[in-house]
Amino acid sequence: MYQYDAIDQQLVQERVAQFRDQTRRYLNNELSEQEFLPLRLQNGLYVQRYAPMLRVAIPYGMLSSAQLRTLADIGRRYDKGYGHFSTRQNLQFNWPTLESVPDILAELAEVEMHAVQTSGNCIRNTTTDQYAGVIADEIVDPRPYCELIRQWSTFHPEFAFLPRKFKIAVNATESADRAATQVHDIGLHIKKNDAGEIGFKVIVGGGLGRTPMVGVTISEFVPREDLLTYLDAIIRVYNQNGRRDNKYKARIKILVKALGIDAFRKLVDAEWEHLRGKESTVPMSEFERLQGFFTEPAYKALEEQPQSLTDKLANSAGFARWYERNTFSHKKAGYRIVTLTLKKNGQAPGDATSEQMDKAADLADKYSFGELRVSHEQNLVLADVQQDQLVELWEAAKESGFATPTLGLLTDMICCPGGDFCALANAKSIPIAKQIQDTFDDLDYLYDIGEVDLNISGCMNACGHHHVGNIGILGVDKKGEEFYQVSMGGASGHDASIGKILGPSFAQEEIGSVMKRIIDLYVDQRTEEERFIDTFRRIGIKPFKEAAYAKAN
Amino acid sequence: MQKLIKDGAIVDNTYSLVNDAEQVISENSIVPMQQWIENADTLGKVAGIWIDAGEGVEALENQDLSQLDVVAVNFPAFADGRGFSYGRLVRERLGFKGEVRAIGNFIPDQLGYLLRCGFSAFDFEQDVNLEKALELHKPFSVAYQGDVADPRPVFLRRG
Repeated sequence: MYQYDAIDQQLVQERVAQFRDQTRRYLNNELSEQEFLPLRLQNGLYVQRYAPMLRVAIPYGMLSSAQLRTLADIGRRYDKGYGHFSTRQNLQFNWPTLESVPDILAELAEVEMHAVQTSGNCIRNTTTDQYAGVIADEIVDPRPYCELIRQWSTFHPEFAFLPRKFKIAVNATESADRAATQVHDIGLHIKKNDAGEIGFKVIVGGGLGRTPMVGVTISEFVPREDLLTYLDAIIRVYNQNGRRDNKYKARIKILVKALGIDAFRKLVDAEWEHLRGKESTVPMSEFERLQGFFTEPAYKALEEQPQSLTDKLANSAGFARWYERNTFSHKKAGYRIVTLTLKKNGQAPGDATSEQMDKAADLADKYSFGELRVSHEQNLVLADVQQDQLVELWEAAKESGFATPTLGLLTDMICCPGGDFCALANAKSIPIAKQIQDTFDDLDYLYDIGEVDLNISGCMNACGHHHVGNIGILGVDKKGEEFYQVSMGGASGHDASIGKILGPSFAQEEIGSVMKRIIDLYVDQRTEEERFIDTFRRIGIKPFKEAAYAKAN
Repeated sequence: MQKLIKDGAIVDNTYSLVNDAEQVISENSIVPMQQWIENADTLGKVAGIWIDAGEGVEALENQDLSQLDVVAVNFPAFADGRGFSYGRLVRERLGFKGEVRAIGNFIPDQLGYLLRCGFSAFDFEQDVNLEKALELHKPFSVAYQGDVADPRPVFLRRG
């Protein structure tokens, strides 16, 4: 993974000193609340319902075991012994004190980490496929490009006060889009053209929140050397023309929609003409330097599907289940990608205790070259596990609550922290997740239902991505009471779509039974090969609506 | 006389900002960009112009800016970042060599970024302790991106 050099290290060090001074001036009343607000947000610090929340950047989800141990340690000493992995591959601490944040940042800087631009109206952490670099059908490893974007976007002097937040996601496979790129402000799809040159299909104007939209293609192919000048051009057009009078209409998607993609493209191209070929054009030597950080680890020559593995698969239904759901094929023979799930019933989705983080770091050291990834679905990934060590790892993962074999199934929910923590939320989301986990606690049944993306957000800001869940649940406030609106038909992959609202919202205690009726209808209506989303697309929303609102009898 | 920060020092503000049609215009005036463009023949010599957020810099593309001492950019609110792009465009696209002045409601903590975007003078509308603001009058000592001071991104500078 990427390693800081003197320049990277100096920059985070200076940032720590800057934020320490800003915090000191705020506490001394030298900086007003209003002035401190964007400064602390650009450093990932929110003031939440009960305490500040600090969001630590995990660039494109890559973590070393040493970094994860530092996060565990910070969680123990400055928080209540846990952290929350977010859909943008970051980690949130819910209980630090404001005064302690500069010290936390100093400790993070020691392990090449920071909280820069994890919030605020600036370019946020770039995200990508959690399987980057280890899957067979990848065009190229997207991580060197993510690192290039990370550096370009970090402390970009022109784009720190955009109309609204700005999120970029990168995908490099035709077969899947695990980074939900089409619902980002910019989605980048790595491509190779007929001449074998690497470039990007650029999608712009996607996003969730109050007005969810799937992005549109602005360019089919931007050569990789032109990536930064093209991004500069897009964001410069947005910075100057995006709406600033209404924060709900300030995202780039609103500008793209208002102008139409052709007019927007024209503005970008006109701007790009001035920038293209200039100093920000990336030389080959830089791509080579960055690629040098993402070389293959010392893989052994191993046999695919060793006897010990096939034996265990035949003899242990529990192991076979875990293997089927929570592991994924690796480009190297004899290796497997393993997801450590953070979706155990009774624990908020994405939460990990400091003890679990330490344990995951140990497992990474023992089984996966000391590295981990955070996934968009709020799980941890060990990317390089020997197949002959899977049984051992499974046993260890079970002990630590990492082996709930439900990856991709109904209960592998994406869920924001909701009203239990977040000051913006209209409603709680964690109890809804719990209710669904309790309703669908039978593993055989869950397996029979198959793949369903169920996403829960506690408010319109859509941190739980409810719009792109096959089933989405949104917390709403009705005269001080918490209700839940259900939408269906959303998807976040290459077939991205925005879900449609089913109808009037439900009371909190109804959600489990409503989900049950929706799933029962699917099971009843599906053809043999159909996933939930396929059946929905074939039969439409109406039967689901009837089922959801049917009175229990 | 009101003070401002210019080229890293606290100095007297020798120009006067024109933001009302009744004001008398002199050689020391900084006049609205549109007024300057539309009344080129009648205005006579002025110190400079100011660009408001939302106006953009396109209208200046065919103008001779070399006769101006100062181009000012207004920040209606410090969170309104349009001026950062304007500063760069005035320097990098229009090649203006004189003073680029930030006016309006920006804050001292933004000076590092403003300097990198080509601003050389800072006239705070709000009551700001300029001595303290001067302590923030420096970018980080390293940067990833090219900027007005040095157009080379870090990858052209890494040894």
